[in-house]
Amino acid sequence: MSDASQDVVDPNAPVVGMDYFMSLHFKEIICPVVRRYADALRDGKLIGHRCPKCGLVYAPPRGYCPIDVIETTDADEVQLADHGFITNYTVVTPVAYYGQEATEPFAKVSVQLDEPGGALSLQDVLEIGADEVRVGMRVEAVWAPESERNVDEIGNRSWGSAEGCIRGWRPTGEPDVAADQMSDKAF
Amino acid sequence: MCSSTAVTEQRFSTTTIEFPYTRTLGPVYSAFLTGLRDQKIVGITSRDGKVLCPPTEWDPQTGEALELDFVEVGPGGVVETWAWVTEPTRKHPLDHPFAFALVRLDGADSALLHAVDAGSIDAMHTGMRVTPRWRDERIGYITDLEAFVPEGSA
Repeated sequence: MSDASQDVVDPNAPVVGMDYFMSLHFKEIICPVVRRYADALRDGKLIGHRCPKCGLVYAPPRGYCPIDVIETTDADEVQLADHGFITNYTVVTPVAYYGQEATEPFAKVSVQLDEPGGALSLQDVLEIGADEVRVGMRVEAVWAPESERNVDEIGNRSWGSAEGCIRGWRPTGEPDVAADQMSDKAF
Repeated sequence: MCSSTAVTEQRFSTTTIEFPYTRTLGPVYSAFLTGLRDQKIVGITSRDGKVLCPPTEWDPQTGEALELDFVEVGPGGVVETWAWVTEPTRKHPLDHPFAFALVRLDGADSALLHAVDAGSIDAMHTGMRVTPRWRDERIGYITDLEAFVPEGSA
């Protein structure tokens, strides 16, 4: 609310606008399958669930396969690779809307992990500019030091989030993955 | 939807979704909130000559647009009805128990919903006289009038 006072240039000018600050604050219990994912991340491991029916790997584990509509459990858990390749990306050019801290263009990428598979979306790329990101580029995770890892941002709907533990993904310099090797990997 | 992993400790996530925007007030609410900023309470004259506070853009009887005939009312008024809030939430105007009340300001024929900071439910009664407590820093918000207080207590 105090922001409004900064908009008023002349303190005696009529008040013609009103800043609304709508906010919704809520607290929820973290689902066990997400807690397990978060604990593994803190230990420096990525885990997922492999659907026993279709074989697709979900990262992070969801506790179900949305294609076959069946439950997946700890028995379906697989440890995932922390390297893979970029399947797609978005370059965000920040505008100074409320809450946006970035000022320079940045890329968010989806990473298809190497065997046994799984894909993480909305990942950061390190060491290269947003204009250098390309589909097929091979990358590896850059883990935060163990003492600096945190899982505070991981909630029930933060699928793909690993930010507090994996700082981002850096190019390995290996040859790109060809487009024909990218299909049928993930949901 | 969750797997049956043994639960050792419960963990929570907290989320805040925020959506800020600015609304244009129009001539009537602009006059009302400009008034509050200047420590005045403004009403509007309806078609039948009654004074409405808070002011409305439309005549409540006929729905016709009202002339911008503003009248200063108050600052004192009478509590017409009230409800005591024992446990204020973080969005309430005060952080300690208070009353939401309809306050009919002197010179007005309708009532304004606002907080009454009476200290105790025992200090509240219908018909009691109240007076505004203004914030020192006023920016054109309804909260510029922080709360009404029992007359004589300010």
